[in-house]
Amino acid sequence: MSSRPVWRSLQTHARRRLVVPETPYRCFSCTRRAQESPKSNDENRMTHFGFQNVPEAQKESLVGAVFSSVASSYDVMNDMMSLGIHRVWKDHFVRSLNPGSALPSRDHDTAGRGWNILDIAGGTGDIAFRMLDHATNINNDQETRVTIADINPEMLAEGQKRSVQTPYYNTDRLSFMQGNAQHMPSIPDNSVDLYTVVFGIRNFTDKQAALNEAFRVLKPGGVFACMEFSKVNNPLLNTAYKQWSFSAIPMIGQLVAGDRDSYQYLVESIEKFPSQEEFRGMIQKAGFMIPGRGYEDLTGGIAAIHKGIKPLSQA
Amino acid sequence: MTRSQSLLALSRRYLSTTTTKPTTTAAAAAATATATTPGRHTFCLGRTQTQTPQQQPQCLQRLRHTPPRHPIRSYHSAHHPSPPHEYSNSQTTILSAALRHVPSHGFTRDALTLGARDAGFLDVSVQLLPRGEFDLILFWLASRRGLLRSRVEEDALLQSPQGPLSTDQKVKILVMERLRMNVEVRDKWQDALAVMSLGENIPSSLSELHSLLDDILDLAGDVSVDASWYSKRMALAAVYTSSEFVMTRDESVDLRDTEEFLSRRLADTKAVGEKITGVKQCLGFMGSTAVGLGRSWGLKI
Repeated sequence: MSSRPVWRSLQTHARRRLVVPETPYRCFSCTRRAQESPKSNDENRMTHFGFQNVPEAQKESLVGAVFSSVASSYDVMNDMMSLGIHRVWKDHFVRSLNPGSALPSRDHDTAGRGWNILDIAGGTGDIAFRMLDHATNINNDQETRVTIADINPEMLAEGQKRSVQTPYYNTDRLSFMQGNAQHMPSIPDNSVDLYTVVFGIRNFTDKQAALNEAFRVLKPGGVFACMEFSKVNNPLLNTAYKQWSFSAIPMIGQLVAGDRDSYQYLVESIEKFPSQEEFRGMIQKAGFMIPGRGYEDLTGGIAAIHKGIKPLSQA
Repeated sequence: MTRSQSLLALSRRYLSTTTTKPTTTAAAAAATATATTPGRHTFCLGRTQTQTPQQQPQCLQRLRHTPPRHPIRSYHSAHHPSPPHEYSNSQTTILSAALRHVPSHGFTRDALTLGARDAGFLDVSVQLLPRGEFDLILFWLASRRGLLRSRVEEDALLQSPQGPLSTDQKVKILVMERLRMNVEVRDKWQDALAVMSLGENIPSSLSELHSLLDDILDLAGDVSVDASWYSKRMALAAVYTSSEFVMTRDESVDLRDTEEFLSRRLADTKAVGEKITGVKQCLGFMGSTAVGLGRSWGLKI
């Protein structure tokens, strides 16, 4: 079940635009090569890449390599790794956000009708298509539009390929953008209603910077919603889950996608991601208001949905 | 939890009556107040002796939701000064605005969305309320409960020209007053009851019902600390909820049908209570007779 989000997060990193993976099929060998290369000035700041420590400047290209390598088999692998549960999570995520305005908008709404949704790390369009479907079919909203942003062009290409099958292909309701979630100068301040990042933020080099950028682009009252792997609270379930993710998932990766290292990175990056409470603290630090407890555990905490609302600016 | 609460209250009450020594002016004032409202006691028990006029306000600050002119609370809420609600400012703004749309849109997400728009938020901002329409219902209940208390404390709802009212009369007035607040949402209230009866919402709904009944009995001046603390609340819960159902179908002027229904149910409750007391007395008498008879035959009972 964890595999899909892992894929997704891998894709996210890969989306960063500057990345041109030299050896897209072997991420760990990439790591070694990158470490051998001469160091630049700002390379002394380290970050983690799975269980390894790598210079911050390199994480982006490493993650890019991972996602480039998995892009083609992303869907099959997600289903196999999560036993299909990721679909239930994503449906629940979209339903709880209830995108689209069922009520006619008012005259004084200057920002246009419908919601402006930004789906970060949404390369394959899983979330974006679900949200457009929900807005159209449930709320009868033909105006809501989604921008899919991903750092990895190969994941975006995968999403563009899939969008041909949807009714939103070639309409202004769906657009694609390649960009780094930590710095998106093409998106103006206060312009987005809903910012989603599903199984992506785990792969960001600087998560706090991405949260701050989300705060910048959201309209006052806009919502930041994030679904990400988290910490399992039940020790029994945790044991079984760890067994599955550290033994079964890399093996499935090897058998199905022929790439063990990428999937090894995926489970390690899940292990490294902060717990529900820590991540909630980071969301608050970026300036968001937290509704209620701030997060919702899915399947015992294997994944969690985090939400934050940008406060209205106090005049 | 309720049990320990009431037992604790009992012991505290006992403490207050035995240890209060009016040595300072503040304590004397408190003692006077205690004397005028029998069965009540100062909130800051145990400090009464050392209180100075400067200390008293500090002590009262612990009761965040108590109006300053009511330094004296009866036992049941003194240890748990039930806050009207636990929503943040933004949530309260949206919910208050949404309540204005309830008569037309019901307790729905639409009402919440319109409320959010009124408050200057976006449609998506209703994510601030994780429980959606149930948050709106809870806010309605809690805010009406606060309103009921302020009616009594500020509008003198329970003052009668014919002299002091009995506890039963006060309970009836309070229940009717609370039901009248629902008149404007009468058509929508059955939907709300349906949402409240969903499995995940039942605990919160019951807890809110308990708070309301607690408030009603407190405002009516009920100070029982024995087993009737429970029986009274349970009986009133049955009467209140059934009256609520009648209210949703009541087309009469000023809820006259509901009021009659309520009077009959309260009378029933009283009659049942008297019957039970009678039966208990009868059984007790027969039991003691049997014991006496046995002893007269030489049994070692």
